[in-house]
Amino acid sequence: MTSLTSADAATFLAREALHLDRLDFDPWLALYTPDCLFWMPAWRDDGTQTEDPDRELSLIFYRGRRNLEDRVQRIRSGFSVASAVMPRVAHMIGNVVTQDAGEGTVRVDSSFLTNVHDVRTNKSHAYFGRYEHELVLVDGEWKIASKIIRLMNDVVPTMLDVYGV
Amino acid sequence: MKPFALRDLVDDRPQDGVFRVNRALFRDQALFDLEMKHVFEGGWVFVGLATQAENPHDYFTNFLGRVPIIIQRDGEGTLRCFVNACPHKGVRLLQKLCGNARRHVCPYHSWTFDSAGANKNIKWQKAGRYAPGFDEENHDLATVAKFGEYRGFLFASLNADVPSLEEHLGETRKLIDLIVDKSPDGVELVPGRVVFTYAANWKMQLENCSDQYHFTSTHPSYIRILDQRAKEQVNEVVQSSIGAADFWQEDASGVTGGTMSFDHGHVLNWGIMPVSSALPEFERAEQLAQLHGVAKRNWMFNMRNLTIFPNLQLAENASSQMRVIRPIAAGMTEMQTWCIAPRGESAQARSFRIRQYEDFFNPTGMATPDDTVCYEEAQIGMAEQDRPWLQGHARGLGASIEGGNDWSDMIGMKPARSVLSDAQLCDESLFGSYYRAWAQRMAGVLS
Repeated sequence: MTSLTSADAATFLAREALHLDRLDFDPWLALYTPDCLFWMPAWRDDGTQTEDPDRELSLIFYRGRRNLEDRVQRIRSGFSVASAVMPRVAHMIGNVVTQDAGEGTVRVDSSFLTNVHDVRTNKSHAYFGRYEHELVLVDGEWKIASKIIRLMNDVVPTMLDVYGV
Repeated sequence: MKPFALRDLVDDRPQDGVFRVNRALFRDQALFDLEMKHVFEGGWVFVGLATQAENPHDYFTNFLGRVPIIIQRDGEGTLRCFVNACPHKGVRLLQKLCGNARRHVCPYHSWTFDSAGANKNIKWQKAGRYAPGFDEENHDLATVAKFGEYRGFLFASLNADVPSLEEHLGETRKLIDLIVDKSPDGVELVPGRVVFTYAANWKMQLENCSDQYHFTSTHPSYIRILDQRAKEQVNEVVQSSIGAADFWQEDASGVTGGTMSFDHGHVLNWGIMPVSSALPEFERAEQLAQLHGVAKRNWMFNMRNLTIFPNLQLAENASSQMRVIRPIAAGMTEMQTWCIAPRGESAQARSFRIRQYEDFFNPTGMATPDDTVCYEEAQIGMAEQDRPWLQGHARGLGASIEGGNDWSDMIGMKPARSVLSDAQLCDESLFGSYYRAWAQRMAGVLS
């Protein structure tokens, strides 16, 4: 099959979220293609986000899974005080809409709400926005070729890492 | 009645080789309220870049201490700084971060102002049966007492009794020149503002910017990734400018950098960085040497963390960042951050600069979170009562000399004090400059 139903796509996104909630990073990384795009744009002003990552700033911009692997390595390193007491995280994903983008690619739009409990400070933060996934079929398995995270509440309380959005 | 005595807060005894700061400066809310009035609303404060309002009638909004302000260019191109509040009922006039408008109409009762801040209309004024006293009042937007520009960097003061901006910036103007002169067209902010908060005092950020001592302790997780990337030479990751320098490596030999401090609270820490392709400026290395001479060009490539007291930090290390510190409470600070870049650099250089920036500087990156978490842990530890004096301002006191050195001479700059250092000296005595300026601005309320 070269297309996904919205229900299948929702299950796929829920599985990605579950890996992050469990801080189970190896299966999370395995969901991405080696040349994946992972992009969280910044806000240009009150109402518009940055659109051209080569000319405008992003909160996170990576082309290549290797960068996500580096992020995971830092989190696990034992040498990052920001990652020493890991926050507890729960993602909620809804409003999943799929669109066949042709050539074995499915575009999936969704809304997310992530609650992050910072154990170190005993404070909880909510992050919310939209995801735009592009999924491709690789050897019979759906993989993430591109994930854009449109974070609505972008004033970051202290820190925000890949597992928090 | 002055509730605080300076000698209880800052123990500054150069003759005894002592400089100490009381933890109260970081945690006391009553002291914080005085700081807002006298440090942030009592002297020069950075408010933005002229390029943020480049065209006629462009404006942007900000805060000067706790006071909302508008910086706007009028139809003739003159920049002004107003209080962002309608004189009628005090309502904030503009809510947007930035925009373009010839007229501002207050959303509450429609009083109207032009882009030079002049009142153009009071709704139904004639029918309003005002008494004569009303006509004697000025209905324009309030201008701030002092507003000035140095090479596109805009500063304002709510207090008129301050030195000229030229005098306030003093010799640090030569450090601002190093940033602006990287391009004949000056600098600009890369679109996209990143804002974060941290639950600690604003002075934690003030110090950390110029704190060479923390780098290898706070950021080993990042340094390990740089090491690994350098070894593997993979294409998908961005090349690091810091990885190409050794000013921070504990085994580096000889002079690797140092610090300089200036009158009015400004400080610089710096490290030698090679003129190499690890910096986006490299495409202009030859041209910059021809235009400005080799010494100034080489300084443009050096790692530099400049603080213009009390709220502007220009960090040229892993990339180029402009930070603005906005204190919210004794234990809460907001940071507004941008990538600052030479105008007209190539598309490749710009993209390279942005990639270097995001990984290091963002609160969603791999370095800044380890700093801000340390600030918060410091804020928790500041509750210690029995020993009020911190021990974090003593390092380098024995190496600090009056005036500059060969390195400042290269660009004809005369700092008030300087320390020339190897990789492990990591001067902390430069912070004394912050607290002396702090004490000057607070002088009226400290006994």
